[in-house]
Amino acid sequence: MQYVAEQALNALSIGAEYSLLALGLAIVFSVMGLVNFAHGEFLGVGGYIMYAMALFGAGDIWMILPVCLLTVVITAVLLERVAFRPVRRAPATTGLLTAFGVAIILQNVFLMGVSPRPKAVPAVAVLNTTVDIGSFTFTILQFLEAGVTAIAIVLLVVFMRRTKLGLAMRAAAHDFTTVRLMGVRANRVIATAFAISGFLAGLAAIFFIARRGAIDPFMGLLPVLKAFVACVLGGFGSLPGAVVGGLVLGILEVVLIILLPDFLAGLRDAAVFFIIGAILVGRPQGILGKKAELGDKTA
Amino acid sequence: MDSGRPRRRLWHVEGARTLRSVRGATIIAAFAVGIGLLIMLFGEPYQVRLAVAAYINLILVLGLQIFMGNANVANLAHPGFMGLGAYLTSIFAVPLVIKKTLIPNAPFGLGEVQLGVVSSFVAAVSITGIIAALTGLVLVRLSGIAATILTLAILVIIHGVFVHWVDLFRGTQAFYGIPKVAGIETMMIATALVILVARLFKDSRIGVQLRASATNMLAAEAMGVNIRALRLIAWVLGGVVCGIAGALYAYYLGTVNARAFYFHAAFLTLAMHILGGMRSVTGAVVGVALISVAMELIRHLESGPVILGAQLPDLFGLGSLMLGVIIVLVMCLRSDGLMGGLELDEVLDRHWKRWRRGG
Amino acid sequence: MLEVDNVSVNYGAVRAVHSVSLSVDEGEIVTLLGPNGAGKTSMLSAIIGLVPVAEGTVTFEGQNINRLDTESRVARGITVTPEGRHVFANLTVEENLILGAAIRRDADGVARDLETYLDMFPILRERFKQSGGSLSGGEQQMLAVVRALMSGPKLLMLDEPSLGLAPQIVDQIFKLISGLRDHGLTLLVVEQNAQEALKFADRAYILSSGNLEFAGTAEELRTSADLMKAYIGEGVS
Ligand SMILES: Nc1ncnc2c1ncn2[C@@H]1O[C@H](COP(=O)(O)OP(=O)(O)OP(=O)(O)O)[C@@H](O)[C@H]1O
Ligand SMILES: [Mg+2]
Repeated sequence: MQYVAEQALNALSIGAEYSLLALGLAIVFSVMGLVNFAHGEFLGVGGYIMYAMALFGAGDIWMILPVCLLTVVITAVLLERVAFRPVRRAPATTGLLTAFGVAIILQNVFLMGVSPRPKAVPAVAVLNTTVDIGSFTFTILQFLEAGVTAIAIVLLVVFMRRTKLGLAMRAAAHDFTTVRLMGVRANRVIATAFAISGFLAGLAAIFFIARRGAIDPFMGLLPVLKAFVACVLGGFGSLPGAVVGGLVLGILEVVLIILLPDFLAGLRDAAVFFIIGAILVGRPQGILGKKAELGDKTA
Repeated sequence: MDSGRPRRRLWHVEGARTLRSVRGATIIAAFAVGIGLLIMLFGEPYQVRLAVAAYINLILVLGLQIFMGNANVANLAHPGFMGLGAYLTSIFAVPLVIKKTLIPNAPFGLGEVQLGVVSSFVAAVSITGIIAALTGLVLVRLSGIAATILTLAILVIIHGVFVHWVDLFRGTQAFYGIPKVAGIETMMIATALVILVARLFKDSRIGVQLRASATNMLAAEAMGVNIRALRLIAWVLGGVVCGIAGALYAYYLGTVNARAFYFHAAFLTLAMHILGGMRSVTGAVVGVALISVAMELIRHLESGPVILGAQLPDLFGLGSLMLGVIIVLVMCLRSDGLMGGLELDEVLDRHWKRWRRGG
Repeated sequence: MLEVDNVSVNYGAVRAVHSVSLSVDEGEIVTLLGPNGAGKTSMLSAIIGLVPVAEGTVTFEGQNINRLDTESRVARGITVTPEGRHVFANLTVEENLILGAAIRRDADGVARDLETYLDMFPILRERFKQSGGSLSGGEQQMLAVVRALMSGPKLLMLDEPSLGLAPQIVDQIFKLISGLRDHGLTLLVVEQNAQEALKFADRAYILSSGNLEFAGTAEELRTSADLMKAYIGEGVS
């Protein structure tokens, strides 16, 4: 019983991390049809800014967290302005490849600017403090991951339903031109989408680094891959699908950790991808996705 | 009337088209092999080594082009298939004595098997093709971005298997002792043949239908084109060519390590492919040539050379950074790449016509 | 109010509109007629800035707006209901209308206008919380018109408001359109249904293969069987 509860929270918190990343990907994709492969590098941006702050003596956690979030948001908006705006009207593959390029650039900026080797970032390690509730043992981080993600999702839903910009973003997912005919600036809608995706990635970065305690230039690669998989699993571009996909992925990973014998532990990621490939054979459009119709905006 | 006539006419058209492709491929191959010949005759040994690496990359990029250039799906799994080709060749071709120390617990009785150079090559490439077909069955069910993400997943899975199936692939340790039987001559012959295959495929009915349907899968499906079958063919052919690149790699270097078949290789060849232009076989040659030269120049910078008496700092990572910059710039400024979908023979024909008219 | 002076529109190498001039004065209803592919939608797109003007100038309220983007033109008081309605199917009727008023800062005014229009189009009040995609074609057309009105435009352009609608609904829509003039609106209406459009329009233009074929009063066109036959075709009697 105790074991089950602990593992359930573990699955939920890991799934929450993937959901945060996947949501950011899905928001940008739904609004402008861009598959932002560089999304994972937002984790790196968050991580390296934490590292830099600690290096220069600004190690207070209440300073680090807001600065980390802000930096990631600014990076996201800047990237849109510099790299993605020129390919806005281009086919999806062009945007995807541009994003690959951006990812490679950021990785190597980290590499050249700091080091090719992993660096310890103990700044947010306090989040790993364990708490005992009755006979159960959890970390603060697990609660935060699950709780903060839930709050972020609720806020996002409110934003998308209650604000004009949120409405415009939802509308743009189907028909961007007509949104412009309402006088809503395309640039503003897209910049907002990037800012939100950056904010969610910033949160994910904090959790990610608290969990692992270290950064390296290529740390974003596997998480973004999993976030992509979460998106595909849920139905690409669907926001609820991204959340569901992330959670399913988290559960799957924890189940595999439990089930896979030790000598196969290294194949966990491979196994996760394999299972998801199998799911997609049955449902190519994802769990929540609808079958594409002629003329739909597809990836 | 004569019922045989239309069929013969059709054959005529097909035949003429095939001839044109062969002629085009010959011109492109002559260009690609010509560079190598010059380097062989006048270059220093390290330049020959660079040329060999470039040819291997070119074969890999052509494998990429066959699927990505025709189906218009960004693909990143190709280094995985190259790795399969390389490892399988090694497993079959390494002498038994060495194999006993390398993989003493080899499964399927592979520890007792040693094949000749050619048989190993054929066996390795065939198995790579079968694995490509298996993955392809899943892949062709997805379209666009989802398919691309699946190719990434395939790369991660294959790499995971290399690194964790220690009994067969030695994990992160290198595989060595493979007979070094391939030199630059082999590479040039193989490259010419692969160029021919890629060009023939591009101009074949399958290639043409594939490219026509790439822009709108649903519409093409509605018109009764079986895109899945077309894409599967392209995927398997591309995978086989990548496997060939891997086998040649193993026969040239004599040693194989899983690290060489992961994201770095994927990004490098992707940049080459994009720079030249995805829809063009010539583009693959151009992209590989330019980026190989550029990377070599940058490698000098990375090691902190002395320029005008000043010792520059180490710039490890600069090469990769430039790859990223190249990709972004090409996409923003000329997303069709340098060749813009044209082939060398088409460009030459145009100039020839203009020159004749002008003269 | 709106002056279009020798405007041409190109799509790549293809020229869809050849040096067309037209004007709309304040308080007028002007209709732009022509067969399929005549360039009517292209003309409206050029006025609202969705396609660039290759030659010529578009002037609104005395100012050249050639270089303004679409959003700024909407902010200046031009709006269009696009051909085929383009209701936001995934948003509710309410959300569609709120988005229509996205550029307005006067919340009170927006609320007041909303009430007025919902009184004019009671069916929209009934469907207020339903998704736009669930409305019928005629209801969607009304929603598209009201959505455009919510931005408080000075010039409203309608692209084939009768497209694909049953005759009774067409009547209803056109009645509503002519009623809008009394609200101080200026209208430019693109139509293929010439007979209906000429009933309420003051002036008319006819485009054919991108060229301006006729410019004059609706009266002239309506009463001259020859003109009608020449430009609109046999389908009308
Ligand atoms: N985006 C585009 N790209 C290329 N050509 C276009 C484009 N839009 C329109 N055209 C061409 O321009 C010409 C005019 O089209 P337009 O849509 O303006 O006609 P229309 O008068 O609105 O026709 P309809 O009554 O059928 O709506 C047509 O020949 C059309 O094929
Ligand atoms: Mg039209």
